[in-house]
Amino acid sequence: MTRVLLYLRFERFWHWAQMLLIVGLLFTGFDVHGSYHILGYARAVDLHNAFALALIVLIVFAVFWHFTTGEWKQYIPTRKFLREMAGFYLTGIFKGAPHPVKKSRTAKLNPLQRLAYLGFKLLIIPVQVTSGLVYFFYPNLNAHGWPPWTLRAAADAHVLGGFFLLAFLIGHVYLTTTGSTPLTNLKAMIFGWELMEEE
Amino acid sequence: MLQMDRYDTRAMRPGSSAHPPRAVGNRALRSRWAGRRGTWLLNVPARLLVLTGCVVMLSFRAGAGVVPSGTGASPKHPYLEAHARQAALSTADHSKFAALKGPFADGDGPAVTKACLTCHPKAGDQVMGTKHWLWRVPEKKYEAYGKGGWLINNFCISIRGGNYPACTKCHAGYGWKDSSFDFTKTENEDCLVCHDTTGDYMKDAAGLANPAVPLDEVAQHVGRPGIANCGGCHFSGGGADATKHGDLDESLLDCKKSEDVHLAKSGAGMDCVDCHTTEGHHIAGPDYLLPANMQETPQYPGQKLGHMSCVSCHGEAPHASFVLNRHYRKVACQTCHIPAFARGGLATNVWWDWSTAGRTKNGQAYEEKDKDGNVTYATIHGSMVWKKNVLPTYEWFDGRMSFMLATDKLPAQRPVWLNKPLGSYDDPSAKIWPFKVHEGKQPYDTQLDKLVVPHLYGDKGSGAFWVDHDWATAIKTGMEIAGLPYSGHYGFVRTNMIWPITHMVAPAKDALTCMDCHSKKSRLSGVKGFYLPGRDRSSGIDFLGWAAVLISCVAVVVHGSGRIFFNTREKRDSK
Repeated sequence: MTRVLLYLRFERFWHWAQMLLIVGLLFTGFDVHGSYHILGYARAVDLHNAFALALIVLIVFAVFWHFTTGEWKQYIPTRKFLREMAGFYLTGIFKGAPHPVKKSRTAKLNPLQRLAYLGFKLLIIPVQVTSGLVYFFYPNLNAHGWPPWTLRAAADAHVLGGFFLLAFLIGHVYLTTTGSTPLTNLKAMIFGWELMEEE
Repeated sequence: MLQMDRYDTRAMRPGSSAHPPRAVGNRALRSRWAGRRGTWLLNVPARLLVLTGCVVMLSFRAGAGVVPSGTGASPKHPYLEAHARQAALSTADHSKFAALKGPFADGDGPAVTKACLTCHPKAGDQVMGTKHWLWRVPEKKYEAYGKGGWLINNFCISIRGGNYPACTKCHAGYGWKDSSFDFTKTENEDCLVCHDTTGDYMKDAAGLANPAVPLDEVAQHVGRPGIANCGGCHFSGGGADATKHGDLDESLLDCKKSEDVHLAKSGAGMDCVDCHTTEGHHIAGPDYLLPANMQETPQYPGQKLGHMSCVSCHGEAPHASFVLNRHYRKVACQTCHIPAFARGGLATNVWWDWSTAGRTKNGQAYEEKDKDGNVTYATIHGSMVWKKNVLPTYEWFDGRMSFMLATDKLPAQRPVWLNKPLGSYDDPSAKIWPFKVHEGKQPYDTQLDKLVVPHLYGDKGSGAFWVDHDWATAIKTGMEIAGLPYSGHYGFVRTNMIWPITHMVAPAKDALTCMDCHSKKSRLSGVKGFYLPGRDRSSGIDFLGWAAVLISCVAVVVHGSGRIFFNTREKRDSK
């Protein structure tokens, strides 16, 4: 067994900062939506806007980091082992079968993760950012002739995206427990290192 | 962070011996990913990011307040001071003028006016063109508008049914007792009703000066109109104090700051005319044509007649919060800053049912009052309901109103709206405004399908309803006096009226909060045509969203319990 630095420092910072911001956005967002009233509308709106701006800044840096380091290649979808991965989650995991895909520094994501995170990055995040920006700047856009239904559309997309983020988050957190021990993946994401079998 | 430092990537720089990695990874990978470019790239963005985050958070904190910048309550009340200074600097002392020495005969108002005009010769012509004199819109096209025209109201209905002397008690003139009143005689203008500073001036039927008023004394103490001058009539709209408007009543003469920040002596200490500025006796204010303009923003009160607005003094961005300031495009200041009207302890009339009027006890007219002294039934008026601290009704309003005239056929809809604010979300000059809605029932011609103008005020036997209590004659007589066709058949119809609320501005701390509108129990539940965050939601989206979350949860529970189940079985089997 060797220890491999799977998640680099910026990557870990990015992940956990993103986690805090998204949890904050969900918490304040559903308050604004009226699902509950904990912070109150005014504070929830202010915090939601602040978190959103911080997340956008974080995303800009993360995009920069992914391209300058070449890490974006980690997310290129592949069909290799896709069936095996699905099979592992559907049956193998219950029988104690070994993980079908070996992690390495250059390929730390299994094919399902690749699909999920690529979808997250290319679908949920852009939809949330775009609809959020339209939502926020709607008064200005309306002054330039954007009709009222654009606000409704942006709001609906944003709310739906929020729900999907929550659903994603639940599944994501659960799947962290599917490592060699329930906390293996979580520890790796915190400290960066993971124990791996020698090749 | 401390934890992360344990695995500082700098320790893995090739050739670095400072902190050799405790475990040896793939050397090629290390240099490829973490070493060559990683070190500085990893740190610089991270540091910049943290810095940016801090700046962002700080900037948001700074702008998060919702209290207007101007609320640092100054112990000096600028307008009280300004009024005192103005008065001290006056170059005239009216008690010294020979023309005003009198003595004026009891009730001889026109004599006083003639005396005023000897020094203010142009004033007579100025007043002649004003709405306070004409009671109608000066433009020919709209001359039916105004209480002297053919508008119908929800209170005493119309002046036209021969009710002149009762209504014109509030006319800025003397002797308008019927339709023959001469609007070209300057001596019939009433200077004192607006300019009396003693508080002793009173008017009687047809607007004549009460004979008990010491005219010499009053004439020698004229000055700038105060709240009592304007309020003498405007607080009593609808026939008595607090009846009509709801945001204007006698409580404002000496009110707490919590009732009206502007008029309270402990607030800004303003007078009505500080906002309702004057040009040549034309007083700024909305009338039937000139909207209370909401898009144009005068730089100072009175820059443009009729364009007084909150913005003249407070600017377009009075809140510390960017998000709050943006509401200005679609929400009138009044909407949030007048949380309720009739807040001064006096109840305002919200229901006036003429159909029950005319009942007598032993042939005598009678009145019933509630415990606060509000008339709930009167033979001469019918049934009434009064309310305090009334939540406004909210409507889109671009400053214009539609009005029903006595000559208009009734629309099919019930209740009949005698006036209605115009505007919608799509109208860029419209905003959400607070309104008082007044409901009632009044007589109408069931054959011609038009409202009628009953004769209410008059002598016994004249057919006037207030003394004879008979609708059939009162309506017939009123329509004859007005010169309008009448079928002889009457019934009662539900009619509503609506007025924008703009006075009784509350202190900032009492303004509405976000949740008053942005929630499922929104005050704006009746205001349509747009998506209001917090109030509106697409139920389909919520259903879809919760379904996704539920599926996710179920999948996690099923999958997780499956793992636990098979895992424990495996352990048991292996034992």
